[in-house]
Amino acid sequence: MTQLPGAETRPALFQCKMASIMSAEAMRAGAAVAAVKRRSASRASTLYLFALPATLLFVVFVAYPILWVAEQSLYAGKTDGGVVFAGLANYTTILSDPTFWIVVRNMALWGAITIPVQMLIGGLLAYFIERHTHALRGFFRTMFFLPVVTSVSVISLVWVQIYAPYYGIAQEYLKHIGIVMMTSPIGDPKTAIYALIVVNIWQWTGFSMLMYIAGIANLSSEVLDAARIDGARGWRLAVHVIVPMLAPATKSLLLLGVIGTLQTFPIVHLMTGGGPNRASEVFGTFIFKQSFVLGDTGTGAALSVIVLVVALALSLIQIAVLGARLSPAGREES
Amino acid sequence: MRKMLFLATTILAAALSSAANAEQKEVTVWSWFVQSTMQKSIAAFEKAHPDIKVNYTYYNYSPEYITALKAAAASGSLPDVIGLQPGSLTQQYRENLEAVNERAAKQWGDKWAEKVFPVNRKQMLMGNPKGDENYYIIPQESQVLCIWYNRKIFEKLNLSPPKTYADLKAAAKALTDGGYIPMFQGAADGWQNENVFLMLANQFAPGITDKAQAGEAKWTAPELVAAMKAWKGLFDDGIFQQGALGAHAYPTGAQLFAQGKVGMMALGSWWMQESKFPPPLSEFVQNMDGFDFFYLPPVKDGNSASPPVGGIDIGYGLTKNGGKKPEAWTFLAELTNGVGLQEALNDLNDLPAFDGNAPKGDITDHVKDMSARFMADLPKAENQRFASPAVAEALDNALAGVAAGSIEPEAALATVQAATEKALAAK
Repeated sequence: MTQLPGAETRPALFQCKMASIMSAEAMRAGAAVAAVKRRSASRASTLYLFALPATLLFVVFVAYPILWVAEQSLYAGKTDGGVVFAGLANYTTILSDPTFWIVVRNMALWGAITIPVQMLIGGLLAYFIERHTHALRGFFRTMFFLPVVTSVSVISLVWVQIYAPYYGIAQEYLKHIGIVMMTSPIGDPKTAIYALIVVNIWQWTGFSMLMYIAGIANLSSEVLDAARIDGARGWRLAVHVIVPMLAPATKSLLLLGVIGTLQTFPIVHLMTGGGPNRASEVFGTFIFKQSFVLGDTGTGAALSVIVLVVALALSLIQIAVLGARLSPAGREES
Repeated sequence: MRKMLFLATTILAAALSSAANAEQKEVTVWSWFVQSTMQKSIAAFEKAHPDIKVNYTYYNYSPEYITALKAAAASGSLPDVIGLQPGSLTQQYRENLEAVNERAAKQWGDKWAEKVFPVNRKQMLMGNPKGDENYYIIPQESQVLCIWYNRKIFEKLNLSPPKTYADLKAAAKALTDGGYIPMFQGAADGWQNENVFLMLANQFAPGITDKAQAGEAKWTAPELVAAMKAWKGLFDDGIFQQGALGAHAYPTGAQLFAQGKVGMMALGSWWMQESKFPPPLSEFVQNMDGFDFFYLPPVKDGNSASPPVGGIDIGYGLTKNGGKKPEAWTFLAELTNGVGLQEALNDLNDLPAFDGNAPKGDITDHVKDMSARFMADLPKAENQRFASPAVAEALDNALAGVAAGSIEPEAALATVQAATEKALAAK
């Protein structure tokens, strides 16, 4: 029992009463602490319950398929339909296949061109729409965002027609200035990948624009006003104040761009099928051909694992180098 | 009281409904076969077999159908009947399919296979392990590859179907000068390139591609090298349209051809179905008035025109799941050589795989004549299919590479030879 300071000078009865009150208080306090602990434990278990659905979804739809694919990558198919353990043979087969290195080159080109160009054009569009349009702002936002929500099949069909020489859409206009297209850019192994990159940029620039619009909308007006008072105007304001403040949106686009690059499939599949002669092959089409056209699930799975590892490594490097402030609003996201 | 009455009525209705459903058996079918035609086949089947209901799921062939099959096979949830192509696709699912020899013999008699056209029969066994004489696919329709031409445009330009390569070049030039696309080649599609190459190769040496894929001849044989050079010539000599390597046969080429903007196109007997599509149809497609076909003329002095090349257009397999249900086989049999097939033929979808069937109904004499010519050529057709997808893939790449000028014919064919040797070694 705890004794209060100075309590020894008081009468015994008082001391006794005090002792019993203190004892009751201590018990109540102990009970309260226990109750808080119980509530805290109960709250923690409730919180875990809240996380359970997401965890289950992650395990069933993400973690399990990844492990399944990783396991498949260690097996090779037999002619009787069975499988045999192949160790890392599928990986060595893939890495020694010249097509793999064509794919790596194409993916590097894809990322190196599409990500900065989309960010640059998207950023400029966002700046001009937000700063220089008023009544038609919604119209311009919608128009430039439209390709993002348009079906890839439609986009592919239209762009194949645009690129077609002789009877194509572009040719119809070019002939008025005396230009005759002799080949289709997607039919020439030297230009096919660049022609597809142009289509990808056309489709996804609207997304970059939207991200930057969100970023611009969240810019602090006090900072902008202060910059103006300090004499920053026009280009200087844009480059030295707005662009740095949009860094979180830029980082998000960079991260999403790298992941998007590695996931590229429908445009290439529909427009060139990875051809001519594999010149425009990307990871998506290569995995598809190995797994579904050639029926070689082992090498298809090995390729998928390689792409996963590359995506993970690139994402971690970006987060380590650029930090994790990724939301357009600039909030820390963990 | 009302609630009780409502509940009782609902339970009774549900019980009656489930009793009715229990009497009706169900067959599940997946395929890429034209949905409108399949619905007619199913309607005819269900009329003949009112106790069986067919649930058909249509997929685009690539990537939807082949990915759906793969996923379903991995999870053991394949439908009862699946659409198949002979060779590689059938072989990929052989372990999931029932051998149909006994069922077919019971259905159509012991000599049923003799009613199937020879090229189809050969393709039905294509890719089977040595000694496995089982059939895992029953063909429904056959096809013969050819060069279709727009006879109205030809007439307008005073052209006749080419008999020599010089004629072909002259026709292509006249068409180009007349503002038409000479011969539309969807060279971004491997299948159309394969088809034209097979026409060429079989012109130099009938059956040589079959021997090459079986390892009995080399892909680098002089005849195949000559065929590959002739293939390149079709691009260089202006037979194919400019930029063909970036073009697709479907839908672009087919639409332009149907609209009368193209002079010639390498397709097959299935092109006749264009005339059965819902209106509005162009004047060329209406009753196929604007179209007729010829075989690729000799591209070199001393050659003959390309022989008919073809085989199974589409076939069906009975899965292990379907093997447990007699009604699944009943449907498969009717679809491939019964009331279901007849509806497909009436729709001019393609040629029958079994001899003794022919389209009926509202068909013009011109179409009947073309159909009869195809049917006369089908028994002597050379094989157009590949047993190994890796060999087909290698050939597709070789053809595209040669056409683009990025690889020489000999080197390109050497890659096909390497792929063939690898595939044969794995077998």
